Amino acid sequence: MTGARYKQRGGQPGHGGFRIVIAGTGGQGVLTAARLLCEYFAARGHQVVSGQLHGMAQRGGSVQSTVMIDAGISPVIPRGRADVVVGFEPVETVRALPLMSLETVVLMNTSPVVPYVIAQAAVRGNGEVEYPAVEGLVECVRGVTERVFAFDGTGIAQECGSGRTLNVIMLGCLLGSGLLPCAADDFWRTATRGMPKHLLETNARAFTSGVESGRRFAFGPAG
Amino acid sequence: MTAASGHGILRDEPGTRHCLLGNLAIVRGALEAGVQFFSCYPGTPASEVGDTIARIAAEADIVFEYSVNEKVAVEIAFAASLTGARSMCGMKHLGLNYACDPVSTMPYVGVEGGMVIVSAGDPSAITSPNEQDQRHFSRFLYYPVFDPATPEDCRRMTCYAFELSERTRLPVILRPTTRVCHGSGIVAFGALPVERNAIRFRKDPARYVPIPVNARRMRKELTGRFALAGRLLETSGFFPRTGRGELGILASGVACAYAAQAIDDLGVGDRVTLQQVGAYPIPDKVLADFFDAVTSVLVVEELTPFVEEWACLSAFQQCRQIPIYGKRSGHLPVEFEYTPDLVEDAVADFVGLVRRPSATVTVPELPARPPVLCPGCPHRASFYLARKVFGTKTIYCNDIGCYTLGYGEPLHACDVLLCMGSSISQASGIARLTGQRTVAYIGDSTFFHSGLPALANAVQANDNVVVVILDNYIAAMTGHQPSLTTPGGGAAAPGPRPHEGDAEQDDRTARFSIEDAVRGLGVTDVYSVDPFDDESTLAAFRQARKGTGVSVVVCHSPCVVEERRHRKDARPIAYAIDQGLCDSCTACVRVLGCPGILVSDGQYLIDPELCDGCALCAEVCHQGAIARAVSQKEASA
Repeated sequence: MTGARYKQRGGQPGHGGFRIVIAGTGGQGVLTAARLLCEYFAARGHQVVSGQLHGMAQRGGSVQSTVMIDAGISPVIPRGRADVVVGFEPVETVRALPLMSLETVVLMNTSPVVPYVIAQAAVRGNGEVEYPAVEGLVECVRGVTERVFAFDGTGIAQECGSGRTLNVIMLGCLLGSGLLPCAADDFWRTATRGMPKHLLETNARAFTSGVESGRRFAFGPAG
Repeated sequence: MTAASGHGILRDEPGTRHCLLGNLAIVRGALEAGVQFFSCYPGTPASEVGDTIARIAAEADIVFEYSVNEKVAVEIAFAASLTGARSMCGMKHLGLNYACDPVSTMPYVGVEGGMVIVSAGDPSAITSPNEQDQRHFSRFLYYPVFDPATPEDCRRMTCYAFELSERTRLPVILRPTTRVCHGSGIVAFGALPVERNAIRFRKDPARYVPIPVNARRMRKELTGRFALAGRLLETSGFFPRTGRGELGILASGVACAYAAQAIDDLGVGDRVTLQQVGAYPIPDKVLADFFDAVTSVLVVEELTPFVEEWACLSAFQQCRQIPIYGKRSGHLPVEFEYTPDLVEDAVADFVGLVRRPSATVTVPELPARPPVLCPGCPHRASFYLARKVFGTKTIYCNDIGCYTLGYGEPLHACDVLLCMGSSISQASGIARLTGQRTVAYIGDSTFFHSGLPALANAVQANDNVVVVILDNYIAAMTGHQPSLTTPGGGAAAPGPRPHEGDAEQDDRTARFSIEDAVRGLGVTDVYSVDPFDDESTLAAFRQARKGTGVSVVVCHSPCVVEERRHRKDARPIAYAIDQGLCDSCTACVRVLGCPGILVSDGQYLIDPELCDGCALCAEVCHQGAIARAVSQKEASA
């Protein structure tokens, strides 16, 4: 559903809001991306609730954040009730599969972050543990919803000057897609308030690239 | 600065709305209550409370410390309360166990300034060795306990808890859980206080000394003060009831948020009454009014059937014939945190609706991402070298911290583990009964937390143990809070600084010497090494292995994550594997388990983004195939 449909549903608490999942691994900037969304929508008077699970993320673990805009008070999303999944990493995107439904929009980066257990499995001879083929992972998501936009976000981030801007690329893609009821440039102005100058240039380039990617992503009109 | 990042939290803008993490909402509530003292020992998921106060302590005029352990933290905060200050103390659920001795007698003595202990729970043991239900402190030791469901609950309850504490002279526990601590939501700021409590200690030994003759008097008073807490809670506003249906749902904590969501999503608001339980003791009147309004009850709460049993007792005493469903009736599980799905299904069953079909999609088997020691972590070097010397048969007793990640493949550095400080005691016990020389691993912060008494005990018994103290100058696992060995009390946070100007020095021994502490306890066989200097480290381990009685090897090397934050050059120079020399012997991966080394199509590669240049893999490689990569700068020179 798009921003237009969001407005059409009236932004009511309960079913009427918007539920976003951001999935990735430690160090990819998942929590920062979620925080920027929360702050932006909270400042505009929306009811915002967010949850995060990052037990030992700094040591290589999975990270999943949820952002609920005008969608009740629970910080955790029930099965099949995510409106958008923003996947920073292919395996982590598929891990969020139970939260998706036919209507879920999935924006996913196709560059893997390979967990160290794969190398361990390789040398210990139990090689059946392999990083799954990315095409297969994308297909897996397409098996649930056709509304999938898979692209090499990490590649774009590197072109923009730093792989660390992946979260900005993904945010740009989400904002550029028009799914949320806000303008990308307004969001970026708010998000970069107080950002040190030396970071601003690379990040701005990344955000613009992300927005362009999101605009290319054609789901057709609302609902 | 935004409210979420810590400083905006000090703004005196009552009525403004901010999106805050539960832990930050607790800080805001404490600020609105005029908190004057805060002590804590870091522990997930409570750490952000203390870390935030640490950042704003000077500006907000709060006396702050990262205490050496939770028992000390509680005792200092209680003493602060006796001087009249509003005091607060932060820890995780296990920390409250460690502090239980003072905690058990504090309600007898009673507080002067309001005192709140925030002890975060961890259902599902996400970052802990167990899950437990601190709400029992209410019945067990006469504590009013608050059980927030949302960040706004966190703010309001914290603020009110100080007032309740002063009116009843009882210390109060605030018990958020992981999902509440690390969930964000809209918080409406209240006003900051104009005045705070006056500080004055008035001598009154009969009031403050719980020797038996006084303790028995205090015990009688305690009953009355706890009853008063129950009466005050009745009008506290933390027992909101919504809906008018005759099906009653009694819920607490984040499970209450899930229940509210389920009622909404199922569209059964007209048939259900939702009663939140936000604090304990649950006032009788709250339950009586609720029972009046409904014909049957489903209790939705995580962990033990605490509310459920309270409700059963209350219904029995009120001679009510009302069915109460929950954990005791087998409708909901007693273990692990609840999910919105689990709660929704229980609510659907309760109201007689068909459950929403469970997810039809099957998730394929995916590789797990277990936590792992970082590339360049000095603990890996210590474990690798110690295993070379002590071998596979030695029993390794590990402790709580990053080094617990030495568990399992490939480092095998953890055969037993229990709790903070247990490594040395367990090494003692096993050595004494098996006659083997055992190894204990313990970090700097944990050593000072509770390793010291265990070491003294090992010395007095002359136990046959080698204690390896992994000093990385910080409490890394919980988010890089300063430990006693952090130079200058830590750059990020103002810990107590014994000497002015320490922060300017880069002298690693500027604060506490582990070696001095260990020698002071009577250990004579003490070695200090840098685990990345493999020759001297191996020599020290060999000497320690040959010794008898207690030997201590202190491995000093800074946490690589913390070090990187302060490093001036952006990245260290990575190492690389010469594919011509590599014979695919697998040793680098098999022995070290460094996440920076990848296997791709049978080739062994080092990810330059992840490599920290510690060179440990170069030591391991028998082909000499691993060497420092040439930097671009060097290549062009």
